[in-house]
Amino acid sequence: MIGPDDVGGVHIKYLYHCRRQLWLYLRGIRPEHLSATVQLGEAVHDTSYTRNTPVDLGAAKLDFIDGQHWVHEVKSSTRTTPADQAQGRHYCHRLYLVGIDAQGTVLHYPKTRRTQRHPYTPEAADQALADIADVLAVATASTSPDRLTRTACRGCSFTDYCWTE
Amino acid sequence: MPAAARTYWLTSPCRIRRKDESLIIERDNADNVHIPVTDVRDIVACAETDLNTAVVSLLNRHRINVHLLSYYGDYAGSLLTSDTSTSGETVLAQARAAQDPQAGLAIARSIVDACAFNVRRVVDRKLLTRPYAVLQASVKTSTNQAQLMGAEGTFRRSAWEVMDTKLPDWLQLAGRSRRPPKNVGNAFISYVNGITYARVLTAVRLTPLHSGIAFLHGTMERQRHSLVLDLSEMFKPLMAERLLLRMSRRNQLKEHHFDRDTNQAMLSDAGRKLVVQTVRDEFAVTVAHRSLNRNVAYDELLYLEALALTRHCLEGTTYKPFRIWW
Repeated sequence: MIGPDDVGGVHIKYLYHCRRQLWLYLRGIRPEHLSATVQLGEAVHDTSYTRNTPVDLGAAKLDFIDGQHWVHEVKSSTRTTPADQAQGRHYCHRLYLVGIDAQGTVLHYPKTRRTQRHPYTPEAADQALADIADVLAVATASTSPDRLTRTACRGCSFTDYCWTE
Repeated sequence: MPAAARTYWLTSPCRIRRKDESLIIERDNADNVHIPVTDVRDIVACAETDLNTAVVSLLNRHRINVHLLSYYGDYAGSLLTSDTSTSGETVLAQARAAQDPQAGLAIARSIVDACAFNVRRVVDRKLLTRPYAVLQASVKTSTNQAQLMGAEGTFRRSAWEVMDTKLPDWLQLAGRSRRPPKNVGNAFISYVNGITYARVLTAVRLTPLHSGIAFLHGTMERQRHSLVLDLSEMFKPLMAERLLLRMSRRNQLKEHHFDRDTNQAMLSDAGRKLVVQTVRDEFAVTVAHRSLNRNVAYDELLYLEALALTRHCLEGTTYKPFRIWW
């Protein structure tokens, strides 16, 4: 279905958020463009840090990278999540694969004007590899993972799909 | 479905033009209307409409479908965006379900049952108790799609008769007739059914399903979107029959809303405007959804229905077609 090279930032993000979401995403269920939340996220993305250019790594696309090789990611939420961190970790891993020594990730939360730094350590590198293996495991699963609890689905663009009866 | 976007209904002859990243509706004897393209979910053109390539490419980028209703008020066709939402795996699962006689027939059965349930709910619960029981019995015993359609037809005939008892003389149906509708009641129902079909098509195009692979109607039959025919079955009574009864009870429909010939009838311009307005407002009515924990518009119900069918095909959850629950 997909190989290790095809795993992108979105896959890693969904892996941490909800495995069912990842499973559906891999099977072509893409309701994101219908979600107001996603549209807001895209607007934040389009209007924040417009002087920097995104870096396209094939499957993954990161927001920008600075002179000291720190990966920068802009997030539209106010809360930090493990998914954001994992996404950054994955980008560092991808950069290593193309021969750039990434220092780590800087997560930007423009809404609260906070930033978070996560250096890319050997443990983080191991975790990044484990995440990719996890994504591939979900991809090959023949049945869909269960839904999260109803409250955990708040704000997810797949809610309509998962919870309509 | 997008929270902000809405359906645009064009009721007078116009030309759609593109101005940068937005749309302009030019009308003959009225001012131009500027519409931000992000505000549009789809367009239903009930009158003559011109558009060009520049508009089409903008509409395609924003995944906006244009549905065209012809001069006589029947569904003339749609300008659909490229098939970006369909997913290979879902379509394969859908095709497998449609080909499997057991699985396909089970879906067709539940659709027929739900459709009759809805008809009974909006027309008359008491008088249609027996026909509904008969239908349920024949749905159980039927072994193919044709028998199911026949059973539905029988039920529908009794429903039309019951409807006639509730309508004033000049609005009575005297049996369903189409292409062209023979009398004003039929003209009303055909028109609203055409709009419902168009709206369901929009909803299906937003989901990964293929609009041609059907369960009750023959797949790809008559080069129509057969799945849309299947899904709109449940929603037709909610819109057409219910609105006809309501509008006649409120004396909203008048003689001048229809043009009548010897053997056919259609809505006049005034009637068309009234009906389109009513249908548009009806699609915006919301009800509390039980598992989503929020209010959903009738419009959204169409989309949720298509999603439920997607889940059934892809994950094997039981598919319970839409029944009016309020």
